[in-house]
Amino acid sequence: MIRTEKLVKSFPAPTGEPKRAVNEVSFEVRAGEVYGLLGPNGAGKTTTLRMISGLLRPTAGRVFIDHRDVTDEPEQVKQRIGYLTANTGLYVRLSVSEFLHYFATLYGMDRAQARARIGALAERLRLTEFMELRCGALSTGQRQRTNIARALLADPPILVLDEPTLGLDVLSNRIMLEFIRTQAEAGRAILLSTHALDEIEAMCRRIGLIHSGRMIAEGTLDELRRQSGRERLSDVFLELVGAHEPVFAD
Amino acid sequence: MSRYSRINTIWRKELIDILRDRRTIFAMVLVPIILYPALMLGSLQALEAQHSQFLADRYEVIVPSEAAGKWLRRVLDTDAVRRPLSEEEAAAAPSEDDSPLEVARAAQTRPAEAEPPLRRDAPAMEEARGARGAAGPRTAVRGAPPEYRITVRAAYPHEQFIGLRTALREGLRGGMSDAGADAAAGRLASTIWRDAWIADFAGPLLAGTVHVGVIVEGDAGALSNGGNVAVRVIMDQTEIRSSIATEGLLGVLERMNERLVEARMRRANIERSYLHPLHVESLSVATPEKVGGSVLGQIVPLILIIMTITGAIYPAIDLTAGERERGTLETLMVAPVATVELIAGKFIVVTMVSLISAGLNLASIGGTIWLGGLGKLLTRGQEVVIPLTALPWVLLALVPLAVMFGAVLLAVCSFARSFKEAQNYVMPVMVAAMIPAVVGILPGTRLEGPLLVMPVANIVVLTRELFVGRFDPTAIVWVIASTSLYAGAAVAVAAKLFGQEAVLFADSGSVRTIFQRRYFTPRRVPTAASAMLVLGLVFPLNFFIQRALGESPLFHERVEYLYALWAVFLLLFVGVPVFAAKYMRVTERTALRVGGASLPAWGAALCLGLSTWALAPAWLAYQQTFLPMPPDQLHALEVATAWLKEVPLWLIVLVLAVTAGVCEEVFFRGYVLSGLRPAIGPVAAIVVVALAFGVYHNSAHRLILTSALGIVLGLLALRSGSIWPSVLVHVLHNGLTLVASRADGMGPWLEQSGWTDAEGMPAPGLLMAAGALLVIGLGLCLMLREPVRAGEGRAAAAAGVGSASPA
Repeated sequence: MIRTEKLVKSFPAPTGEPKRAVNEVSFEVRAGEVYGLLGPNGAGKTTTLRMISGLLRPTAGRVFIDHRDVTDEPEQVKQRIGYLTANTGLYVRLSVSEFLHYFATLYGMDRAQARARIGALAERLRLTEFMELRCGALSTGQRQRTNIARALLADPPILVLDEPTLGLDVLSNRIMLEFIRTQAEAGRAILLSTHALDEIEAMCRRIGLIHSGRMIAEGTLDELRRQSGRERLSDVFLELVGAHEPVFAD
Repeated sequence: MSRYSRINTIWRKELIDILRDRRTIFAMVLVPIILYPALMLGSLQALEAQHSQFLADRYEVIVPSEAAGKWLRRVLDTDAVRRPLSEEEAAAAPSEDDSPLEVARAAQTRPAEAEPPLRRDAPAMEEARGARGAAGPRTAVRGAPPEYRITVRAAYPHEQFIGLRTALREGLRGGMSDAGADAAAGRLASTIWRDAWIADFAGPLLAGTVHVGVIVEGDAGALSNGGNVAVRVIMDQTEIRSSIATEGLLGVLERMNERLVEARMRRANIERSYLHPLHVESLSVATPEKVGGSVLGQIVPLILIIMTITGAIYPAIDLTAGERERGTLETLMVAPVATVELIAGKFIVVTMVSLISAGLNLASIGGTIWLGGLGKLLTRGQEVVIPLTALPWVLLALVPLAVMFGAVLLAVCSFARSFKEAQNYVMPVMVAAMIPAVVGILPGTRLEGPLLVMPVANIVVLTRELFVGRFDPTAIVWVIASTSLYAGAAVAVAAKLFGQEAVLFADSGSVRTIFQRRYFTPRRVPTAASAMLVLGLVFPLNFFIQRALGESPLFHERVEYLYALWAVFLLLFVGVPVFAAKYMRVTERTALRVGGASLPAWGAALCLGLSTWALAPAWLAYQQTFLPMPPDQLHALEVATAWLKEVPLWLIVLVLAVTAGVCEEVFFRGYVLSGLRPAIGPVAAIVVVALAFGVYHNSAHRLILTSALGIVLGLLALRSGSIWPSVLVHVLHNGLTLVASRADGMGPWLEQSGWTDAEGMPAPGLLMAAGALLVIGLGLCLMLREPVRAGEGRAAAAAGVGSASPA
């Protein structure tokens, strides 16, 4: 469903020689699979996800969504991706219903289709009781459910989730993880970026380890364990990143 | 879903969003609807209330003597009697013997018998009498006086004055006759006495405890036999109460004067008009509508422009920086929406809110003036009609302005990461807009010349002209066209900036990367954007500098003009592109195409350069048959360039042929062509540059010729990969044209040998030879192959239009 080929993104740097934030990253996410993109802050996870979702234009390399090149057909690709981050904002002066209808229109639905789809989503995500409230008046959990509904509006076969649990409390966290699991079971391809190791351990079948813009290891958890010779995921991570030396010298 | 329906969806949502914001409603509706009327009517009422309060107050008057006080009291008391006062009544004030009043009389009064004999039947009187109505007695010049309390100051007792006068008399007696000494001492003493009193009055006046002081010089009793009295009213002009007290007092005294004049004239049997041989009156032909429009035109344009801009500020910030701050921009960008649609939707809303706000303001100002009677007040009671028919036109004139500021503000706010940051960016824009706006409201500014295209100022003046009902269609077209042009440019810049990844995602790199040199990647040719920027910078600069030089007395029709021109050419056409190339890290050699050329290219250049000078005058003569240039313009051109005939030929050739040729080629065929070539392809680039080259020469008469020459030069520069062959063509063309036209050049020789006729028109033989050379030159040119450079492909890809250039 998602395939990247030697994806590169350079940003201008003070030296005049552009800095590569993402450097030849290649991986693939299949339908029904949760793929975890793991890496420290600033590793290039968000930039990679933004290129996949068509928010940023790759400097080099290609992204295919259902065999369509993101650069060539950005709109068709965006139609097939549900994108969600922990701090995705809502329009505080619109009601939940207006907010969802606005996006439904942007996704090309007519009024009847939008009403049917939003009704179904509201039922499933339990939005009905606050549909007419302004988004600014929602609780964190309600906001999150609204955003999930927004991401699922076009019934996308692919979900791109950029640190979706960042800064959430235990309860909201559970909503999110449950959501991810059900979506994978429904056959969607899910790309999950996070630096929460336990989530990766709990959710992901395959993991890509990204560091300084490069994919340094990829495989199932067992494969990574074998590769690093460590048992705990945090140790695997540190070993592969090459930071397993003590932080403070004696 | 089509692009337009998406833009439609976006702007409607943005409008709802922005209208639901209390801050928008406050800025857009509350301010105009409530604030203006409240402010205007409130301050008006406060002013009136204060005024009537001032009139109801009692004012303190000080006088130097009992006698003066009594006289003043009488004058004040008789003021209420609106009838001609007899001189006896006016003079009926107790007077002290030997008072300063009396002493001063000797110098100031004129004996009654000295008045010239007057005859009523003077011919001038008849005419004057006819106009009497307008020039009647001015008894009601000032309003009813307030109440006064008169206090006598006892600073200098009368004995001191006597003593002073005696001392002065004694001192003067030695040098002159007794009578002369008496008179001089009297005058001197009076002057010293008066100044002493004024100095004394200053204390309480400055302290504000007293509002006005009155000094009466001369004997009031003398008023009965045609004498004069000087009344000095001492006041402090910075104190409002002092001013009001003075105003009232002067009114009383003036009315008294009038009545005395009436009485004297009656006694002497003179018509009043006799004293006004000239009847002067100004009559205005302005219609009430025009008066109303002129009143509106003084204040409304500026307010409207401020409100149009301020109306756009809040939505511009909210829809860009606000959206980023709330984290909704990313949400929006993952939907299948193009950046250009987003910015279009936002731009529509900003412009709309700005126009709604301007419209509401216009309505509110109109209503306030209409209902509040402000118009009457401003025109001092003249008949005023608000020119309602002008209002829709005024609103229409604001549309391009709103569009321009909507785009400018969107572009500026796009950089900001937060609301606060955006507010900081907006301030300079406001200030920058105010400067031309203030130029526009300067009284007497007419919509002509450079003001036609001066942004903001032209709209201010246009609005004013619309208010007074002056519709000059040409001027309107200029204003609207130029403002629309600026608006279009601003929209383009806004769209370009908003689409930048660094602008969309703060963490995708800093906005600095767009502007700062150290972030630029070295390249071989300039970007199309920088080529257009340099073109847009140098064009108007060159126009203004050359014009300023031509009009300056230092350079006007002098050899120095050519030296200055030489410097301008180098600075603008070489200096600017070289600086731009350095700043943008573009290799100068490739950016300016200053590398070498092949031998065939030089051959082509020689053929072309030797041919065009002869073909050009033939073309212009032919063009005259279907696009005739008016004879007066032709003549004006001849007169304007006549002085050049006196300048040495070598200097003219050096500046107008060699320098102009080299510099213009570096600029047009160098920097601009290199920048445009990868972005829009070779043909379009040559044509665009040639048109710019034609327009640059600033002559409609030669536009076709210079553009055609531009195409030849562009083709040669592109195919040879170097500007030097085109420099050769350019220098030869300019140089031969100049040399052939001069008496000290080849002119006479060409004519003698039959190559040209007396008019300088080439003979058929020369034309055929030149035509053949042109064909050979063009043929050689087309046989050349444009050198392919590695860097240009990369530049094209970076410009995002790589596929458009089959290199």
